[in-house]
Amino acid sequence: MQISTQNLGSGTFNRHLMARAHQKSRRKKMLLVGLTLTSMVDMFSLLVIFLLQTFSASPELMVVANNVELPTASTGTEIKDAPVLSLSESEVFLDQKRVGATADLLKNPEPLMEKLEEIRNQWQGAHPGKSFPGEINLQAHRGLSSVTVSLFMAMLPSQAYGSIQLAVVK
Amino acid sequence: MSVSMGSSSSNGRRKSLDAELNLVPFIDLLSMCICFLLMTAIWIQVASVQVKQGHGTDAPTQAANQLEMELTFTSATVAQINVKKSGKIVHKASVVASDASLWTSQVDRVLTEMDHALGTGGKKDLFANARITPTNGISYGDLISVMNVLRQHQIVNLGVVPNSAVLTHTNARKVGG
Repeated sequence: MQISTQNLGSGTFNRHLMARAHQKSRRKKMLLVGLTLTSMVDMFSLLVIFLLQTFSASPELMVVANNVELPTASTGTEIKDAPVLSLSESEVFLDQKRVGATADLLKNPEPLMEKLEEIRNQWQGAHPGKSFPGEINLQAHRGLSSVTVSLFMAMLPSQAYGSIQLAVVK
Repeated sequence: MSVSMGSSSSNGRRKSLDAELNLVPFIDLLSMCICFLLMTAIWIQVASVQVKQGHGTDAPTQAANQLEMELTFTSATVAQINVKKSGKIVHKASVVASDASLWTSQVDRVLTEMDHALGTGGKKDLFANARITPTNGISYGDLISVMNVLRQHQIVNLGVVPNSAVLTHTNARKVGG
């Protein structure tokens, strides 16, 4: 079938050419979005420098119990590797093992004494001929009465734990 | 006659001297560093305050020219400080803290006055030990704050003296052998 120019309206071919040119320009148009990474690299660098300052290669010697909020002190010294006695408002833990309720142990400290003696005997068995250093770390909740904490501290020398390290937050 | 300077390729265009720096591996390295350091960062620094119990065998010995301090909390708001030398009281002071938050500043003020009165200002090893007797109404956090102030004044051998009636009961069990 042949179509003569008489059957086409005026400007048809021009309109066709323009439509084809638009399509070509649409195909060739590439969407490029520039992403500025300078600020992100700056932020990463600052984060790395900050985190390097808080990095420590020494192992964590003491795990703070969940329900114990330690008091603050600026003159604290380095923690020593020793058994950890945790006193919360309700319970007492020795090396993360529950010993009993705080109030019950104040009335009858025998369970605590037995566990302290057991730890001491284990140490002496592992270090024959050496004198027991008697070091123990004491974590106590800051809201506890000082009298309660002092009573527990008074129990410790009876089991040869005379060097008490009170855990604080710097 | 014209002379062309600079590098030029065979087709007459100048070669670009700009070098492209690929930052992708650098960003990867920084990301890995951040992940590693986040896992190993210590956010809470735990330290310790050493206490040698005065009633145990580890009580420090006292030299003749050394001073002893007794800090006794008489109530929730009042504490008494006695400084002894060879058993005799050489200085007495009272600390009054109407609010628990004032213990640190009040004890610091009294100790500073004591340093001026006795001429002990900031000198180490002048105090053999300091015994602290708590009472009901004083929280453990306040006790540590007071001990912290004592350590700042170079009084480092600290002991906590409990209620004597309970002490007799708890120390009834002796170490065998």
